[in-house]
Amino acid sequence: MLTLIVFIPLIAALALLFVAKDNRELIRAVSISAAGLSFLLSLGLLLTFDKSNPGMQFESAVAWVPLLNIQFHVGVDGISLLLLVLTTFLSAIAILYSLKQKKELRNFLALMLALEAGTLGVFVALDTILFYAFWELMLVPTYFLIGLWGEGRRIYATTKFVLFTLVGSLLMLVAIIGITVAHFKATGTLTFDIQTLVHTHIDPASQLWMFLCFFLAFAIKVPVFPFHSWLPHTYVACPIPTLIILTGAMSKTGAYGFLRFCLPLFPEAVAELGHIIATFAAIGIVYGAWIAVAQKDLKALVAYSSISHLGFITLGIFALNNIGVEGSVLQMVNHGIIAAALFLIVGILEERTGTRNLKDFRGLGKSMPILYGTFMLVTLAALGLPGLNGFVGEFLILMGVWTSPLLSNLAVIFVLMAGLAIVFASIYMLYMFQGSMQETNPNDPKDLKDIDRNEFALLLPACVLIVFIGLFPKPFLDRVSPSVSSILTVEKTVNVHIGEDEGHH
Amino acid sequence: MFFYAWFILILPLLGFIGLSLLGDKIPKKQAGYAGCLTVGLSFLVTLTVLGQLLGLAPEKRLGHVETLYQWVSSGSFKLDLAILIDPLSVFMFLIVTGVGFLIHVYSLEYMKDDPEYSRFFAYLNLFIFSMLLLVAAADFFFLIVGWAFVGLASYLLIGFWKEKTSAVLAARKAFVMNVIGDVGMVIAALMIFQNFNSLSYMDVFSAAPDQFRTNDDTMLMITLLLLVGAFAKSAQIPLHTWLPDAMEGPTPVSALIHAATMVTAGVYLVARCHVLYELAPYTMYFIAGIGAITAIFAGTMGMVQYDIKRVIAYSTMSQLGYMFLAVGIGVFSFGMFHLMTHAFFKALLFLSAGSVIHGMNGEQDIRKMGGLRFAMPLTHITFLVGAVCLAGVPLTSGFFSKEAIIMSSWHAEMGNFVFWGMAVLAAGMTGFYIFRVYFYTFIGKSRSPETHPHESPFIMAAPLLILAFLSLVMGFSAHWVDQFLGPVFGATAHHYEDATLETIAVLAGLGGILTAGVVYMTSQDKLEFAKQALAPVYDLLFNKYYIDEIYDFLIVKPVRAIGAFFEQKVEKEGVDFVVDEVGLQVREISRGISFWQSGNVRTYALSMLVGMVTILFFVVFL
Repeated sequence: MLTLIVFIPLIAALALLFVAKDNRELIRAVSISAAGLSFLLSLGLLLTFDKSNPGMQFESAVAWVPLLNIQFHVGVDGISLLLLVLTTFLSAIAILYSLKQKKELRNFLALMLALEAGTLGVFVALDTILFYAFWELMLVPTYFLIGLWGEGRRIYATTKFVLFTLVGSLLMLVAIIGITVAHFKATGTLTFDIQTLVHTHIDPASQLWMFLCFFLAFAIKVPVFPFHSWLPHTYVACPIPTLIILTGAMSKTGAYGFLRFCLPLFPEAVAELGHIIATFAAIGIVYGAWIAVAQKDLKALVAYSSISHLGFITLGIFALNNIGVEGSVLQMVNHGIIAAALFLIVGILEERTGTRNLKDFRGLGKSMPILYGTFMLVTLAALGLPGLNGFVGEFLILMGVWTSPLLSNLAVIFVLMAGLAIVFASIYMLYMFQGSMQETNPNDPKDLKDIDRNEFALLLPACVLIVFIGLFPKPFLDRVSPSVSSILTVEKTVNVHIGEDEGHH
Repeated sequence: MFFYAWFILILPLLGFIGLSLLGDKIPKKQAGYAGCLTVGLSFLVTLTVLGQLLGLAPEKRLGHVETLYQWVSSGSFKLDLAILIDPLSVFMFLIVTGVGFLIHVYSLEYMKDDPEYSRFFAYLNLFIFSMLLLVAAADFFFLIVGWAFVGLASYLLIGFWKEKTSAVLAARKAFVMNVIGDVGMVIAALMIFQNFNSLSYMDVFSAAPDQFRTNDDTMLMITLLLLVGAFAKSAQIPLHTWLPDAMEGPTPVSALIHAATMVTAGVYLVARCHVLYELAPYTMYFIAGIGAITAIFAGTMGMVQYDIKRVIAYSTMSQLGYMFLAVGIGVFSFGMFHLMTHAFFKALLFLSAGSVIHGMNGEQDIRKMGGLRFAMPLTHITFLVGAVCLAGVPLTSGFFSKEAIIMSSWHAEMGNFVFWGMAVLAAGMTGFYIFRVYFYTFIGKSRSPETHPHESPFIMAAPLLILAFLSLVMGFSAHWVDQFLGPVFGATAHHYEDATLETIAVLAGLGGILTAGVVYMTSQDKLEFAKQALAPVYDLLFNKYYIDEIYDFLIVKPVRAIGAFFEQKVEKEGVDFVVDEVGLQVREISRGISFWQSGNVRTYALSMLVGMVTILFFVVFL
């Protein structure tokens, strides 16, 4: 089933290459059905998932490279399940939104589907090499999507993005091999299976460098301050549909990596460096929010606000307790929904008015009452209004940080920094909402049309989820909770004893 | 037992959802009626709850928690969506739904020419729901949710006329200031959870006295952090600057949110958490001090403003100061009693002022009014009733509630002559500023003869009359309120009798009225010398002590400057520059191996495999 969910978009992407370029109907049909099918199947998993089971479910494994015991091994636990559904959901929205794309529709959609497949693969892979393959698979389509369909300094942006990510992922590859070697030295079996590897106890010194390699790859992807420098350029240059997947789903792969690899594999390194990472995360929270206050370009504003929100997610993970990590996972879903909705709105506004600059907007709410209401709800969720989804995650994260034994004394400072960012969030989000929708516009464009049914249909699911998660976070957290506990309490049964490794080969 | 009390909250919520989704599709009139109906029904349910509660023995009226469902269970953090029914919450329900209903009815007429009539009622319903959630919540989390939602409703209603720039700015200011308060409360909630492992009132309040000794540092921190929220919401110094600006909203909004209900949430919070505050007497002194200072400080600003609504807004701040003084010296039920009488007479004053503005076609400057007692006889009477209550003229409700506080500020255990002196001084100012408005508006001759003010129709007058009646007679319910709330606060408050002090306080109020009469009834040129002598003071007060300007200079400007610095220097010239340099070098190198980036997935996979095998080979075998 999981294999199907991942491969449907990939096969559709390949199939699209055999469709004539100007057969737009068929191109649309293929991509919608692929993204839709993938989404429906993932919903099926959500419903049949056994929430009392903390381990992997819907597992399947086939040998891929038998020589090295590399397997095509996939499966989901509560954490990856939510992110899987988030990805298929956002991809479906992104693909529906990109149907209007004029230029090279076929190639665009094919790359979008490939991007979806790569992201999905990352969330389900249970073999480190497979994980790495999907990790790189995400990168390639993004490179072309931004480079060919982007705007402004797109080449600069996409090169920067790729180089950044590549540096991280190559280091990760080294660490991936390092772990397997360590495991091999201890047990004599060669495996890339994540569930087996997490039980390996790695000596602290090796833990440190492997952790740093993994950490760097993930920190760039999230991004964690100060590795965020690619993000504003990339986001501003990126076409909106790609951006929805990029910010909604792909940025979560980094945070997911922390959970799947860094925490269970390198507990000692995490204990040693956790508070430093949390410090950077907290700085990022304030830094992103502070710069967002000064932005006039809506895309840049949402980009910097994302740095701030993603900082929350990282901070919650390194609180290293149930509440904080669960809050982070929930916040990944929340940020995915909210940021995607915000970028959609930015896209709609730009399409209508031809600009994204706050200075040129004003009083649009008068002629667009439906967008006004939707935009307001999303704004409120983004600024973390208690009662909506964004606050649930933030509150749990802060609670986790506050009660975290790892962060102890620093917790107060982090929470105060987060509080400052929450105040800033209310400033920049209201700036964005009020600046574009309220007051009166002297040269009000007369032909400005409110969002149509199709556009509303794209925004509606996000709005429903914003309210729903705020009211009923329990069903989401219940699925995540057992998996988080098992990650935080992974047992090290395989020990590497010094001097023993030589005897095995 | 009280599960049906959920309907008190759900009805206005349904009103909000219905009106905001169907707003344009139902006729204007029906939309307004629907808005009133939900709140009216909610009031009736509240009466039923009250009846049932009164049927119980006083000690059995506490702690009825009604759970809807489990909201979250994460780690050790468990929380239900639940409401708490006890005399305090029901007391607040009565005020919110009762006064709220009257103001809804008043708005039917007041807003009738507004094109977005149904949206207005939707927002009003949202506010009623949020305020009820705030006072009904059984734990600190949903307290914060209600707290934020009233802030949202207030934001939406201040900025209701969204095409007006000043309204948009005022709304944003109110929202951001309240977010500062929210953050304080969130941190308080974190500390509470850390210490009690629960956020539920019942758990926290029952554990606190055993767990903490008096003036424990933790308890002081928690109570002070909660106060940040309370002061932001109730416009106490230094978080008060949003309230006068909030008068940009329609007048019924000012009456409902910025006088009768929302701004009193801070007082409610202290009363609700009295167990915690009693463990932190230092914080209580602090509350009483800030309350007394705000009472005077707001009074001084109110004495010189010309906008009729702004004067009443400053008066609200000042009266809230009294309430904080009361809860600060530990006489919680007197604070709540003043909250109630104030809700009546201040709503009355605002609605009467609205009637004046309505009659004057939107004019709010009292210098352009005058002689309205002939044109608007009914409004004249109701405003006068509100004014005498506010000034504390004997036997009105304001007299009873304010006297109780002023007496306690001397005689209560935590009282002293400083608090008493400040309270009396503020009482004198109250008489002055409200009667200054009264004389300006209703007495003398019209100062703008070209306008033809008219009396408001019956549907606006009816709520005025009811509120006037309540303002006059509810003072006599003091004893009943004290008895009713007694079980919540552990004991009824002691009522002190002291004829001398009482006389002084009454004379202060009357003196204020008299001074206003003398100053504004004598011809203006005779006072010219006094005006010149007091000009600097006047300027200071008229400009609200320049606090907005100070905040702008100390906070707003630096925040912007630092933001710009981060963007320009740190981001563009710092991080970007370094990264680009590294990037350039890498690009130089990678140019040589650029065939790797052919974009061909198979090549990628192949090269990854090759690289992997190579590294593996090196690591394992060498």
